[in-house]
Amino acid sequence: MTRDEPLVDRNFLERLERLTLHWQKSFPGLVGGHNRSRFAGSGLEFLDHRNFHHGDDLRAVNWRAFMRLEKMFLKMFQVEPRVPVRVMVDISRSMTTGAESKFAYARKVAAALCFVGLVKLDLITIQPFSDHLEHSFLCGGGRHRFMPAAEFLSNLRPRGAGDFLKIAREFNHEYSQRGLLIIISDFLDDKDCFKPLQYLSDFGHELMLVHVWAEEDRVPPWEGELALEDAETGANLEISFDENSRKIYTEAFDEYAAQLRRLALRNGGRYAGLPTSLPVEEAMFGPMVTTGGLA
Amino acid sequence: MFFLNLGLGEFLTLFSAISAGVVALYLLDRSRRKQTVATLKFWRPAEMPSQQQQRRRITQPWSMLLQLLGIGLLLLALAGVRIGQQLSEGAVRDHVLILDSSAWMGARVRQGTLMDDARAQARAWLKTIPSSDRVMVVRADAVAAPVTRFESNRAVIEKAIRETQPGAAALNLGEALRFAQQTGGRGEIVLATAGRIATGELPATLPPNLRLLHVAGPYANVGLRKIGLLRSVTDPDAWEIFVTAKNYGPSPTNVTLALQFAGTPVGSRQFTLKPTSEQEATFLFKTRAAGVVEARLLSAGDAFPQDDRASFELPNQRQLRVTVYSADPALLKPLLASNPNVSATFLAPLEYGAPQPPKAEKPDVIILDRFAPPSPPQTDSIWIEPPALQSPVPVAATYTKAKVTKWTNDAVLGAGLHTHDLELDSAIGFRAGPNDIAVASVDAGPVIVARPGAHKTIVMGFHPERSRVKYELAAPLLFANILRWIAPESFLRWQLTGGNVGTVNVKLAPHTDPAQVRVIGGDGSTIPYTIDGDSLRFFASDPGTVRVLTGEKELVYSLTVPEVGDAIWQVPASVRRGVPRRTPLEAVTHDIWYWLALAGAGCLLAEWIIYGRHRTRLRAMQPGRPAPMFDRKAS
Repeated sequence: MTRDEPLVDRNFLERLERLTLHWQKSFPGLVGGHNRSRFAGSGLEFLDHRNFHHGDDLRAVNWRAFMRLEKMFLKMFQVEPRVPVRVMVDISRSMTTGAESKFAYARKVAAALCFVGLVKLDLITIQPFSDHLEHSFLCGGGRHRFMPAAEFLSNLRPRGAGDFLKIAREFNHEYSQRGLLIIISDFLDDKDCFKPLQYLSDFGHELMLVHVWAEEDRVPPWEGELALEDAETGANLEISFDENSRKIYTEAFDEYAAQLRRLALRNGGRYAGLPTSLPVEEAMFGPMVTTGGLA
Repeated sequence: MFFLNLGLGEFLTLFSAISAGVVALYLLDRSRRKQTVATLKFWRPAEMPSQQQQRRRITQPWSMLLQLLGIGLLLLALAGVRIGQQLSEGAVRDHVLILDSSAWMGARVRQGTLMDDARAQARAWLKTIPSSDRVMVVRADAVAAPVTRFESNRAVIEKAIRETQPGAAALNLGEALRFAQQTGGRGEIVLATAGRIATGELPATLPPNLRLLHVAGPYANVGLRKIGLLRSVTDPDAWEIFVTAKNYGPSPTNVTLALQFAGTPVGSRQFTLKPTSEQEATFLFKTRAAGVVEARLLSAGDAFPQDDRASFELPNQRQLRVTVYSADPALLKPLLASNPNVSATFLAPLEYGAPQPPKAEKPDVIILDRFAPPSPPQTDSIWIEPPALQSPVPVAATYTKAKVTKWTNDAVLGAGLHTHDLELDSAIGFRAGPNDIAVASVDAGPVIVARPGAHKTIVMGFHPERSRVKYELAAPLLFANILRWIAPESFLRWQLTGGNVGTVNVKLAPHTDPAQVRVIGGDGSTIPYTIDGDSLRFFASDPGTVRVLTGEKELVYSLTVPEVGDAIWQVPASVRRGVPRRTPLEAVTHDIWYWLALAGAGCLLAEWIIYGRHRTRLRAMQPGRPAPMFDRKAS
């Protein structure tokens, strides 16, 4: 994907408007994007006026009233305490392997999910990660806020090695409010990634695991003497690979994916396995819908 | 076993180079391939340590061995490996086999011909040379023509020998030997001949490697040498026939020369021909009809009957039919009666357009003497002093006391016309058109006009017998020229000549216009020729009829009489003769290249079926849409 190429095209976006992000858990004090509250705060719709106090945000001053009355009044907006939707995008180097880049695929999926949430006025946090949490991007308030989010995703670059345990700790520390947690990753952490995911679920987040893999990750097309190098750690392995080995490899991969799925389902979450050969559009209206992540 | 196309060193070098390439490609194909993968965690369960050590060395050794074996077998096939004893390089020679294909080789001997004997001797000689030797077969008569290149395939050589037939010309031995020497073969020059050659065609020196396969045969032969037919100058109905016969044998021979026309005997001569001498006989034969004239030579014990007979097809001598409408026919009768090719009919002007008898032939030319018909004639016509208003060429004026100042320079119309101070008492002048020819002119304009076209027309402004022209030689010449211009085919002079193929020299009439000369073959094709002075020369390589057209004369050459060599070649004693009593140097060899090629291809095919097909399938494996692992809705 080139720098100027959009992550998702206009036709795809129009189709995505029909979808909605779904979660199963009930989060106390929070509502979805389609419900309103009467709490004042940093909302979009006007609620009331009050006197200006030192330290208030000058952007909220009603300057027209000041010009007429020479007194400063502050405009108050209704707060929207929504269920936070966090989209975690794996940007580790393992995402760059394969004939079709998992990294580009993951960004497209993240952009599509972000648009679906924005259309339904959800509050979306895009959180890239590798071995630590990168700078996040918060967006909400409607579809017109999608372009900055898409630009943020486009500017992401792969780096680092995945470390889910460290990520889980940082995430719980950073985001104390529970919500829907969509993790888009290949989940190829040399260390165990099941415990960190369980940890995140136990903390109260509803997990939606979007497992992205390249075809080479599941069925390696090579045969013979191979000198393998881990894309993240640089570890090497020399191996003789034949048809039988390929079968064993694929079975191990499928077992790993099945464990991920069991983990998600056991904790009330969802799992969607997306090979990069599957177009993103079909993935959004196929596996993502059938698993209940989108409706 | 030996190689035909490659030396052992060349074979080993090629095989080593290709084998090294194959092994290098094999090792490259099976060397460790570096791949960057997302994780190693799934590879470790697939690792098989028990095979690791073995595959660090050469894997699939049978694949490589099959490839090397296949390539080796294919190279052996290319090298032309043969089973048998190989001759040394110097023993392989190139021979030139000259087969005499002259006309004389068709002479009868015992049950066959001399050619049969020559072919048998050539085949016998061919069996004595090693199979590795190469032979070029050359057919030689007047020219030497190679039939094959230097060929080691005996089937091809024997086919060339078998298909050699006697030709129509005599053997030019010098040229045949010169050609054989120019080929540069290191073997023998083998000449299978009866030794009858054209005079003056003996080589100055004989090649030292010449071997003669002499075909013994008879020398007695009497044959027609030349035959000519010429229309008699005095009698247009008569043909003068000249026949020349020659005795090629060493003893006098009594012969009978018979002449037939359309199957009917018309004359014969009996004479005795001395050894190696010629005699000419002349016949006079009258006919106007077309038909075949055949000259036949009858003699006892003639071995070569092909030159005893010659035939010609005589053309029909057609007369020009002229109808004269004149009130005074006595004036024109002498002019027309002087030409034997003209048949004139005189009618009164009133008879113009009257019904003709049913069997009456349509005239070729109509002469209108001071008379104009109501409708113009639908054939060629000559108008003499036509009425001014009905003249086919517009009348300009009437001249009196006018001198003829100019005659046309047209090759036919103006041939021989010349007058001095010829004054016409009265003459009609015409306005000639752009395509008209002014045959005779006075100062004021033309008085005789020729108009070409579908129907040729001549308009004469004065009467040739009523004016002072009748005292001039120009009068009959003018009339003869006009008739020849109108109907040139009726005045063609025929001459038929029989002879041999080869170069033919034709003596042309003086002042023949080269632009009017054409030489045409029997199939209508133009034959190249040269003209040197009054001599025309052309070459005919095949028997047939050649026509030489020179305007008013047509010469027909029937080049069907075989040319028999005049001389018997006296072979020097130094020349090797006969089929050598030499056994083949090598044992019988067998070509096995095709078996080797099949085996090599089989090895490569087996290797591909066993190993290569699997590799091709892997390369073709593209990431496709996988079967969904979990497709039920999670809830």
